[in-house]
Amino acid sequence: MTDNDTQDTTDASTAEPDGGAVAGRRQSQESTDYLTSEVNLLQPSTPFMRDHLRVIWTGFVVWAVIVFGPVTATAVAPGVMTTTMPIIGFPLHYFLVAIGAPGGALILAFWYARKRDALDEKYGIDHGTDGGVSE
Amino acid sequence: MTDVFSVAGSAVAQSGLLPEGLNVSFKALPAVMVTAMLLLFLVIGYVFKVADTEGMWVAGRSIGNVENGMAIGANWMSAASYLGMAALIATSGFYGLSFVVGWSTGYFILLIFMAAQMRRFGKYTAPDFVGDRFNSDTARAIAAVTTFLIGFVYAIGQARGMGLVGLYIFGDIGLPGLSGYQSMVVLMMAITVGYLTLSGMLGATKNMAVQYVILILAFLSAVYVVGFVNGYSTVLPQIEYGAMFSQLASEFSEPFVNGGFYLWIATAFSLVVGTCGLPHVLVRFYTVENERTARWSTVWGLGFILLLYLGSPALAAFGTDLYAENIGPVYGDPGMTTAAGDVIVVLAAQLSNLPTWFVGLVAAGGIAAAIATVAGLFIAGSSAISHDIYANIINEDATQRQQVLVGRLSIVALGVITTLAALDPAAPIAALVSYAFSLAGAVLFPMFFLGLWWENTNRQGALAGMTTGLTIWAIPMINEVLPAYGFFSGATNANGVLSAAIAQWVPAIGSALVAVPIVFAVTIAVSLVTSEPDMETKKMVRQCHSPEPMRKQQSAEDAVSSDD
Repeated sequence: MTDNDTQDTTDASTAEPDGGAVAGRRQSQESTDYLTSEVNLLQPSTPFMRDHLRVIWTGFVVWAVIVFGPVTATAVAPGVMTTTMPIIGFPLHYFLVAIGAPGGALILAFWYARKRDALDEKYGIDHGTDGGVSE
Repeated sequence: MTDVFSVAGSAVAQSGLLPEGLNVSFKALPAVMVTAMLLLFLVIGYVFKVADTEGMWVAGRSIGNVENGMAIGANWMSAASYLGMAALIATSGFYGLSFVVGWSTGYFILLIFMAAQMRRFGKYTAPDFVGDRFNSDTARAIAAVTTFLIGFVYAIGQARGMGLVGLYIFGDIGLPGLSGYQSMVVLMMAITVGYLTLSGMLGATKNMAVQYVILILAFLSAVYVVGFVNGYSTVLPQIEYGAMFSQLASEFSEPFVNGGFYLWIATAFSLVVGTCGLPHVLVRFYTVENERTARWSTVWGLGFILLLYLGSPALAAFGTDLYAENIGPVYGDPGMTTAAGDVIVVLAAQLSNLPTWFVGLVAAGGIAAAIATVAGLFIAGSSAISHDIYANIINEDATQRQQVLVGRLSIVALGVITTLAALDPAAPIAALVSYAFSLAGAVLFPMFFLGLWWENTNRQGALAGMTTGLTIWAIPMINEVLPAYGFFSGATNANGVLSAAIAQWVPAIGSALVAVPIVFAVTIAVSLVTSEPDMETKKMVRQCHSPEPMRKQQSAEDAVSSDD
């Protein structure tokens, strides 16, 4: 079960904290071998992973706030959170939970998919129609 | 909350009848509409019938953005969404919103952490992922059994929904020895199983797009028409129902009266991680052309889902108001029964004095929703048996013909046991379904998540984690759900549960809140103290995250081995 010969040198070099400095990103992209770079949610090892994870974590934090924020606020400060909103008549907590959270998740999802497409473009990736490559 | 569910559940099980206000009888026009709809599903299933496993399990990986988005929507929105969600919002007020939140926002987590990576992994089933990622047939078998169990628990709620709605439309068809509700459950499940065994995933996917259109049109017409004829709303009922809060009973919106803060968070959390762990949801990413489609179809799917989820509280508000006006107080004793709650979508149309055909249309939407989800669940459950257990473990030389046959037989088996359990269900639709979510969240989600995002997760860690998850899920099920089916009835306390403390902190409906962190910790700890997985496996994980495009029929495993 040990893998003595597998942790090759590329791994070490690309895993440097600033291994993919901004200027060299495109060049390093061409030479990056993704199969030799460790996958670790907390320590991205390639420039692409770093960029991707930045988007993912940003989205995740915003998500956590819109999903669990309003209900927690309601538990902490019920008086403020249940005030009736002007014009539409909702109690604030009800509106934020029933419409704010699901609607916010949809907007975030759209935002993420756009960001991820932009990353594809930045790294010169084309998915085409049949998955991009016809070898 | 727990005892609300179990007490109400046993009341329904005994009466088995629809509430007053919905008259149970044969209704010609709605019956014709529903029959035509069921025939349409059968025809589509027949036209897209399959004979090979690729078509049976992943629709030939041919599905595009919007179509898959619709299939995600239909596959997702079951009787629990169509009927059960409005029911929960009507009967449990603010607590019911945890279902709206959990069932919709979970798709974002699925999108950022799993959709594209799963597509790149590119096998056939969710247990496939577990088995191949952790190189273990035991892990594969546990995942397959869990998948089967999820399909079973989840489908009970759907069968109940179909039975209640079918009873309203067709009346008591009177199968010998069965009540009207039970006869209808048997009939509806027979039809569903019939078309599924015929069509497999390709037909099911084509059908799901059609089913989505039917269910969303039916639901939105209910929201708009009920709101309009009663003068509640005009162009945007999803917002306009806000004005009704002053006239609704305070239980409808006051926070934490029907379930405390902890239960709210536990429920929402379980539904989120359950969403990310449900095999029939994940398999939708295997059916698409490429990873970009996997991403965008998730966005489309969430949008399609919200069309219903934003309208559900509005319809619950309309229904509650109509019920209070025409039948009696919604809250307190006796209040609205759960059976009335479970059909409140149909009830709202009925109480607005709308024509019978319209009420029938709304009811038909509920049946379409239930059938689409049962289709997804049974395909996932039967592929777990046929592909993961039979073809991968029992008979490795199985021909395609044998696999498809075993697949069809397991669909029938699932249909039979689900029907039997649904004859006398122990809880309302949405509660039944959420047990399946807790299971998926506790057992499968950590495996998918860690398997994809931490390459050092190994076989021992996965096995330990899954066993832990199953155990933690089983505790509240034994504690509070089995007593509702009559087990351990001598040992239960006044609330009908074995231990009130467990029921409070590890509720069956939200046990994943406790289970997920523990399973993560166990999996990580065991993986750290045992040897790392081999390089081949690590490369497979890396391939799932590489931005480089892959071919349509290629899996991460192929990509890695061709690279060597």
